[in-house]
Amino acid sequence: MNYLDWIVLFGTIAFIVVYGTLKTRGNKTIEGYLKGDNSMKWWMIGVSIMATQASAITFLSTPGQAIEDGMRFIQFYFGLPLAMVIIAVTIVPIYYRLKVYTAYEYLETRFDLKTRSLAALLFLMLRGVSAGITLFAPALVLSTILGWSVNITTVLIGTLVIVYVVSGGTRAVSLTQRYQMTVIMGGMILAGFLAYSMLPAGISFGDTVQIAGEMGKLNLVNLEFNPNDRYNIWSGLIAGGFLSLSYFGTDQSQVSRYLGGTSESESKLGLIFNGLFKIPMQFVILFIGVLVYVFYLFNQPPIFHNKVLKERAMETSQVEVLRSLDAEYNSLYAAKRVAVDDLVDAIHQEEEQAIAKSKEEVIKLQKQEVSLRDSVKATISAAIPNAKTQDRDYIFLNFVLSNLPHGIVGLLLAVMFSAAMSSMASELNALAATTCMDIYKRSINQKETTIHYVKASRWFTVLWALLAMVFAMLASFAENLIQFVNIVGSLFYGTILGIFLTAFYVKRVQGTAVFCAAILAEGIVLYCYAYTEIAFLLYNIIGCGVVMIVSLLLQMVLPQKESSKVIDENHFI
Amino acid sequence: MNAEEKPPVFKTWSRWYWLVLAVLVVQVFLYFWLTQSFA
Repeated sequence: MNYLDWIVLFGTIAFIVVYGTLKTRGNKTIEGYLKGDNSMKWWMIGVSIMATQASAITFLSTPGQAIEDGMRFIQFYFGLPLAMVIIAVTIVPIYYRLKVYTAYEYLETRFDLKTRSLAALLFLMLRGVSAGITLFAPALVLSTILGWSVNITTVLIGTLVIVYVVSGGTRAVSLTQRYQMTVIMGGMILAGFLAYSMLPAGISFGDTVQIAGEMGKLNLVNLEFNPNDRYNIWSGLIAGGFLSLSYFGTDQSQVSRYLGGTSESESKLGLIFNGLFKIPMQFVILFIGVLVYVFYLFNQPPIFHNKVLKERAMETSQVEVLRSLDAEYNSLYAAKRVAVDDLVDAIHQEEEQAIAKSKEEVIKLQKQEVSLRDSVKATISAAIPNAKTQDRDYIFLNFVLSNLPHGIVGLLLAVMFSAAMSSMASELNALAATTCMDIYKRSINQKETTIHYVKASRWFTVLWALLAMVFAMLASFAENLIQFVNIVGSLFYGTILGIFLTAFYVKRVQGTAVFCAAILAEGIVLYCYAYTEIAFLLYNIIGCGVVMIVSLLLQMVLPQKESSKVIDENHFI
Repeated sequence: MNAEEKPPVFKTWSRWYWLVLAVLVVQVFLYFWLTQSFA
């Protein structure tokens, strides 16, 4: 990093924060603060939805995932367009008809107050913890790369987000996300282009794609149905569609994005925009990872990508072991480079047998390389107990810092900060909206002026941001952050989705039945987590299934009330 | 069906939805072709 990088990094972030704050300040109505006065066009909604879902860890982890595991992760998104269509057809019209501020408001109209409050509280727990992780994951990586304390990067990102979200609310979130997404996609595509341009002369784009394919990195679609395989077309369409439906249909951080549209049509088009462009966006990010993989075939990558951690380990008694592993790795890479050159020659000469032979050699050496990397990780663990030796999240940023020109390095760091800020901003805005409208205004203090509720929303934004920062500072107990987020999500998402699916599709079920079923479902899910070995992804299905089935059974013995059926009969008939 | 329901470009919303699904199918075929061609 030199002065040019610092100028680009702080210039980009300062522009987004200052512009977002100045352009959207002065909201005096709750409609303006929480729904942006319904001023968003379809393309703004689409960009905002995509920016909310793509957190910094997406841009840190996804290229690393492509390098290690190929592009098969893209199948996880195949169910998303289906979910967008279902939400646009069934859920958006209901939210618009009821003019709700939050998704949970609908539950009071459909069921009753206690069900609305329960769903809101479950969401606050789920999203409150997630906001801490959304903040901590990039703060940790950036602190390591920049050599700063993780508390400094945590407070820096958190404070910057507070400034513009507190000031401008939903409009500030959407406005800044436009610039953040421009910086993110521009920076990522530039990094991919530079990775390709730094390949040796004589390696064409076609050669690059063929090399990646020969090495198994273009494993985009797997048609085999295998429940044990995390990524195949069927798990993507079914499980991915299921998760997308719950995330985009019932999670306020996404619902608030499309509720800010100028009309129902704009909201639907925003969701369609996401359905059309989300998969290509993931393809681009994964393909950038593949380009970096090919770059590292011709240029020696570090044996361990978290350089700071390795340097710390080098200061311990394990230094000699690490040096000897380094030497072994250097000679292994030299052999691999010869095999890669043979593969390129064979591809140029179009000799199938030679291609197969040299490919086999590269794969064999690659396996030895993986084994050496595992030895390095084990040695670092021995040198520094409790050290996090998973270095996938550092691969891409390490490539950027070690190989890209000054200025671009600053831009790519701005990409990571922007991504962290954009998703956290949506989460804080949603947490504040739900706390204010579903808990405070509905159940604690109903008779205040609109200015009072705007102020309350601002204070709730600050409160949740502070909680996220505190949680992020305490979050180092989680070895695998992404898994931790998924476990927390799975503990609550199933029950929330069950409540909403019952509301949308099982019209005979009423409030008390679904409330009792949701309490039971949450108890069963928490029991499964504490006392069983059931895979955590199944909690979603268990929670959702228990709510729907038990509420239906309970409704058979509970008396039917008339009042809560009107809006749904209008919708469903 | 109110005035709000009329979409831009196409006559009905169902055409937009079919477009999303068609683009999904085209992408899956394209990615499958890439997987098969370069495996």
